[in-house]
Amino acid sequence: MRNLLHDMNPSIKFITVTIVMLGLAFFFNPWTPLLFFFSILVLQLVFSRINWKIWSLFMLPFVIGAFGYLWTTIVFGAETGGTVIWSLFGFDVTDEQLALALSLSFRVLAFSSLSLLFALTTDPVKFVMSLMQQLKLSPKLAYGVLVGYQFLPVLKDEFFQIQQAHRLRGAAVEKFWWQRVLGVRRVIIPMLAGAVRKAERSAFAMEARGFTGEMRKEFFRPVSIKAKDYALSAAILVIFISTSFLGSILSN
Amino acid sequence: MLKSWKLKEIVLMSLFGVVFGIVYLLFIHLGNIWAGLIGPIAYEWMFGIWFIVSIICMHIIRKPGAALIPETMAAIIEVMLGNAVGPRLILSGIVQGLGAEAAFTVTRYRHFNIFVFMLAGIGAAVFSFIYGYFVSGYAALDPGFVALMFTLRVLSGAIIAGIGGKYIGDALLATGSLRGYAIARTQPRDANA
Repeated sequence: MRNLLHDMNPSIKFITVTIVMLGLAFFFNPWTPLLFFFSILVLQLVFSRINWKIWSLFMLPFVIGAFGYLWTTIVFGAETGGTVIWSLFGFDVTDEQLALALSLSFRVLAFSSLSLLFALTTDPVKFVMSLMQQLKLSPKLAYGVLVGYQFLPVLKDEFFQIQQAHRLRGAAVEKFWWQRVLGVRRVIIPMLAGAVRKAERSAFAMEARGFTGEMRKEFFRPVSIKAKDYALSAAILVIFISTSFLGSILSN
Repeated sequence: MLKSWKLKEIVLMSLFGVVFGIVYLLFIHLGNIWAGLIGPIAYEWMFGIWFIVSIICMHIIRKPGAALIPETMAAIIEVMLGNAVGPRLILSGIVQGLGAEAAFTVTRYRHFNIFVFMLAGIGAAVFSFIYGYFVSGYAALDPGFVALMFTLRVLSGAIIAGIGGKYIGDALLATGSLRGYAIARTQPRDANA
């Protein structure tokens, strides 16, 4: 029961999540995204066993971003009319403007909850395998992406090596965070040059082992679609449709 | 379309996708904290960063698709790394890649100078703004404010992605690691044209 979201076919999950996100963009009332956000939370509580500490850590920057949306939409919002609720520093805030601002910031939260539903329950390698097997992504691209992904820890080590080499030679004195951001330039060129060489080497290795990049019919690790994948996808769509109706009713 | 591609070029794009996927994610988080202070306009002036991998890869490989594919790969890798922007990043990656690709298609993949790269940055900016207008609901904002956001994004696309992308590509060429790619086959004079 609590494995359902983890075992769901990644392509189906990906398509469902994307459709619902695009669908949410049509709603400008505050209730739809808010209700949707809480429904997704409940869905995750019931059907997944994710680490909620990590969830909150990922969510935090987006809560901050949502707050930014809230106040800019109030201050820089298009003229909507409606009754003035309060005035602050010469700005008249109307009830419609507030509703619109709340809707945009709740939308950020709804998007993030849906994204985290995907991110925290999907195995990255299985996702690419599924893209190749179900959505017919070219094996050349799919395995290319996987090679890049496998190099991630190597690139991380390389990053620290380059940084330490710079420090050892006294090349970089970085006191402030913005100096570190600008200093990215010094690190990125050697990293990319290393990446070019690694790409060449691994491409030769793949070709030497007979990788042609042609479409296959059989796979070593097949990713299948089962009835419960459609059921879960339908459940998410039902949540979206019912919250959009309920939200439209509540805001009138 | 993929028939004419060498495997090493595809793996190269993927590895660049990893490096820039991380950079992109870092800037999304930086942008979010910023955005809490000054709202969605916080992203606009640095939006060019998110288009840069298209321009670098097109500068190096010079084949149809060399702008669209790396941007999409970077987006897939961002999703694989896990983040709260989520699967729709792949969609925005495709949109941005198409925007950059459009500029090279219009110039028929013949000219690879700074103006075309800036045009590609602008193309990516325009495409991504149209997409963002819809998804983030910019329709709710004051038209003057939206125009300001649009101008900032176009400038950022031209300067950070266009000029910055060419700069990084040229710097990489100077390291000598790009022998065997289209960029190294051009005359030195052309590379600076």
